[in-house]
Amino acid sequence: MTICAGVDSGSRATKVALLDADGGALLAAGAVDAGLKPEAVASALLDRLLAGCARRRDQVGAIVATGYARHAIGFADAAVTEITCHATGVRRVVPGAATVVEIGGQDAKLLRLAPDGTVQDFAMNDRCAAGTGRFLEVVAARLGVPLEGLGALARAATAPAAISSMCVVFAETEIIGLLAQETPPADIVAGVQKSIASRVAGMAGRRVEAPVVFTGGVALIPGMAEALAEALGTAVATAPDPQMTGALGAAILACRRARPGSGA
Amino acid sequence: MTDAARPRTMEEIDALCAARAASPRPDEPYPYAGPLARHVRDGDRRLLRLAYDPAPASLRLWNFLLTEEDRLREARAAGHKLVGAMKDLGTVTVLAYAYPRVTAFYLDGAWWIPCIMEMSEGLLGVASAHGAGEGMCPVRAMLGAFVTRRHFPIPDLLVSSVGAVCDDLSAVAQRLESLGHPILWWEMPARRAPEPGEPAVPLPGGLRAPASQVALVRSELGRVRRALDGLAGHALTDAELAAGIRAANAVRARLDALREIVFTAPACPLPALEHQIAEMLVIHFCSDRDETLRVYDALLDEVRARVAAGTAVLPADAVRVFWVNPVADLRAMNLLEACGGRLCGTEFLFCHALDPLPEGVEPMEALARAALADPMVGPASDRAARIAADARRFGAEAVVVSRIPGASHCAWEGEAIAGAVRDRLGLPVAEIEVPPLTDALAPSIRSRLEALVETARARRRR
Repeated sequence: MTICAGVDSGSRATKVALLDADGGALLAAGAVDAGLKPEAVASALLDRLLAGCARRRDQVGAIVATGYARHAIGFADAAVTEITCHATGVRRVVPGAATVVEIGGQDAKLLRLAPDGTVQDFAMNDRCAAGTGRFLEVVAARLGVPLEGLGALARAATAPAAISSMCVVFAETEIIGLLAQETPPADIVAGVQKSIASRVAGMAGRRVEAPVVFTGGVALIPGMAEALAEALGTAVATAPDPQMTGALGAAILACRRARPGSGA
Repeated sequence: MTDAARPRTMEEIDALCAARAASPRPDEPYPYAGPLARHVRDGDRRLLRLAYDPAPASLRLWNFLLTEEDRLREARAAGHKLVGAMKDLGTVTVLAYAYPRVTAFYLDGAWWIPCIMEMSEGLLGVASAHGAGEGMCPVRAMLGAFVTRRHFPIPDLLVSSVGAVCDDLSAVAQRLESLGHPILWWEMPARRAPEPGEPAVPLPGGLRAPASQVALVRSELGRVRRALDGLAGHALTDAELAAGIRAANAVRARLDALREIVFTAPACPLPALEHQIAEMLVIHFCSDRDETLRVYDALLDEVRARVAAGTAVLPADAVRVFWVNPVADLRAMNLLEACGGRLCGTEFLFCHALDPLPEGVEPMEALARAALADPMVGPASDRAARIAADARRFGAEAVVVSRIPGASHCAWEGEAIAGAVRDRLGLPVAEIEVPPLTDALAPSIRSRLEALVETARARRRR
């Protein structure tokens, strides 16, 4: 059995997926904090996952790197953008997906897929972190709430606060102002989720075709999919294990390199 | 890619230049063929970070571009009157060059100084201190250059269009005037489609406009002509102006031929960076109309020879990309090619300066019609339609809409252009923002360009 690997070296987390290049089965997957040395972090994670499958590095047929630091992963055979990898990964876990929304630590993307699952067109935020996971991190830190607790907090909201700033730094100033006015933290978090969702909807314009699949690390936060669905005006399904779809897509592309026409 | 045509560093280019100087060939009589390092010594540090085409014709192009300030000072010393044309991409300069002993130049071109000098001159900071802050287009560097007086001689006459043109430039020019530099303003109306039954005239580029609008622009340009008559001490005749228009058209025809070859050749014969520089010359002739012709002729000779020999500057499978808007950082054009793209069409906001000026009408009428064909003074849908048509004509596989930070028109035009391209051609579009120095943003811009190339390649396989 030939193993292929996908490495997604993102701004917040490094993810690795291992696939059986012949049958396409997912053998192992894992994520760790990105750290400051992307290649070393990715290498250690890859070796740990391989050891868990009783495999060695020299048994890996091909490795594709993606994510923000993809070009820093020197042991990879190829670097492919997150756009292509998320599209590939999502089509594997949700075969009928037509639109993919991916929100990561520092950017947000909207992909339109062609009937064959390849990317037809895409849009990315490039102005500010106000439409990304970084915004949620800032809010969590300001409110003293763990990131994973934001969703539960947002569920208690009764009147989501209006966050109007285009810039995450100034948005934080707005949040300070809201807290000073004794706005409940739940309403602030719900307002931030709504703000992120509305920025993604603005990026999408008129180009949203159902089914819409939500992926990326921010999709792990409860309440974000609902906020997106409301902003986009259509149902939004969260991809299974959404943080891993980029690495999964990279692993599929690695299999195609190692075994053209493989089942992956 | 052919090794002889692969991109070179500045040091490699200068080594080639030294070798050529040691054994000059009679067919390479290039007056601007000096080493690029001399410009770095003058402060043009960005040159160290670019990749260059090794052809002697391209080196001549670079040196011609980088010696404009010297030409302007020489022109003044020779008794020429200097005219600074602002927010006028190819109309007033045509008029000015029709006069004897008048040299016009394009002040808005100062927007590249922060890039070329890697911000070392602080021009944007000076502009901010004089009321043109970072919310405006980098063209505000022009204001800083006027204050420091280090980058070009202060013109004898400043001319700027105003009205339905660039809001940022208008605001910058108003601040310039408040610093004691009087400006001759001429009004540009917002171009509109003729009403049913309204007298209309054709414009270059296949557009039409009400005859009344053309008459207004003609009248405004008449004021500019009278001011130039006074400055030059010479009443320009229509015959002289017609000769100036023919000369400008000769330059435009050369550029048109260059575009046609570069964009349609099976193997790319000229890199995107040099192509962008070459296109910019057409606006104002880089202060020497005759040398512009010779620079174009040399480039044409080179690309024709490369096409005949099958010499390519890029890999054969490079994705054909149509590029919209000029970039404030020249390095972005290198980046496109590093990501697997190839320039196969451009719309750098002055497509009306690429179209021939009408020669079958009175010369002032010709200038007015050309001025009104400016893509910035009409609806964004007109511009988008031309971009889509040109992208189709040149066989583009993808389109980049490059935004200029702070440029007001980019805010509303980008979506209109991207929408037209998607709806009419079904091509993928990437919108990117290119500041005067992209170094810190290069990974982010690279991601978008690489994704665009990957998407276009996936489309090939469909």
